Amino acid sequence: MEEAPKQSYSDQEKNDIFNNEFLPHIKSMYNFGFRLTFDQDDAKDLVQDTYLKAYRFIESFQKGTNAKAWLFRILKNSFINDYRKKTKEPSKVDYQEVETYYNSEDVDRQITPDLRVESLKDMIGDEISNALNSLDVDFRTVIILCDLEGFKYEEMAKILDIPIGTVRSRLHRARNLLKEKLSEYAKSMGYKNTEL
Amino acid sequence: MTKPLNPFILADGTKPSCMEMLQLILDGEATAEQQVYFKAHMDHCLPCFKSYDLDTTIKELLKTRCCGDSVPNELVDQIKTQISKNLAL
Ligand SMILES: [Zn+2]
Repeated sequence: MEEAPKQSYSDQEKNDIFNNEFLPHIKSMYNFGFRLTFDQDDAKDLVQDTYLKAYRFIESFQKGTNAKAWLFRILKNSFINDYRKKTKEPSKVDYQEVETYYNSEDVDRQITPDLRVESLKDMIGDEISNALNSLDVDFRTVIILCDLEGFKYEEMAKILDIPIGTVRSRLHRARNLLKEKLSEYAKSMGYKNTEL
Repeated sequence: MTKPLNPFILADGTKPSCMEMLQLILDGEATAEQQVYFKAHMDHCLPCFKSYDLDTTIKELLKTRCCGDSVPNELVDQIKTQISKNLAL
């Protein structure tokens, strides 16, 4: 991910890296692609494109380092540069606003409606997945990277090309939005905001 | 007895909020020292106590409910075919 000094691999080594270090991540990659595009064919194209690029630039990858993060970064860039441009999906989030929000004094103010563990446990259908999908793409992305894929903040910062502080604030905001959505579902399932 | 120093305090003296501390704990980004401090803090901070359970549950649910989609069977083969085609050029 850092511009590592260019490696030199034999064809055999390239194939080994591809099969043993890149391909095992295909399920995560496909899930990421699908949750970015919501379309199976677009997700397949994104993943295929990512793997082709990964092979083409394999000598910028240092064997044994973080292949998953490296691949995710390629996919994210393909999504922004190729897919988003093609579909002209406007970026709806004003980050200036997000940052200001996070740095404001009342950040600990309880802004999410009361949501309870019991009501979450009763969401046995697609509610969780739908709530995630309802978020704007940049908020969705940090949740996917952190909560679904278990990336560390530092890895996320590199994948997304943003400072760690921004990773944290974006994640914080994303989770609040997710909770708002989940409490909407909880309400429609008949839970009342019973404060103890 | 003096109160133990809050290990979450940043180098510049900024004291993080409850939610900021909780986030580090939740995401496994807290040091051992910070974890000990937060555990004690949670015992007398109701918002943290409540949020901890809720946020942990959401994180677990996301992981179990949103990672299950299987990859289309033909995808790996298509990728491999495409690569060998490109190599032949
Ligand atoms: Zn607290």
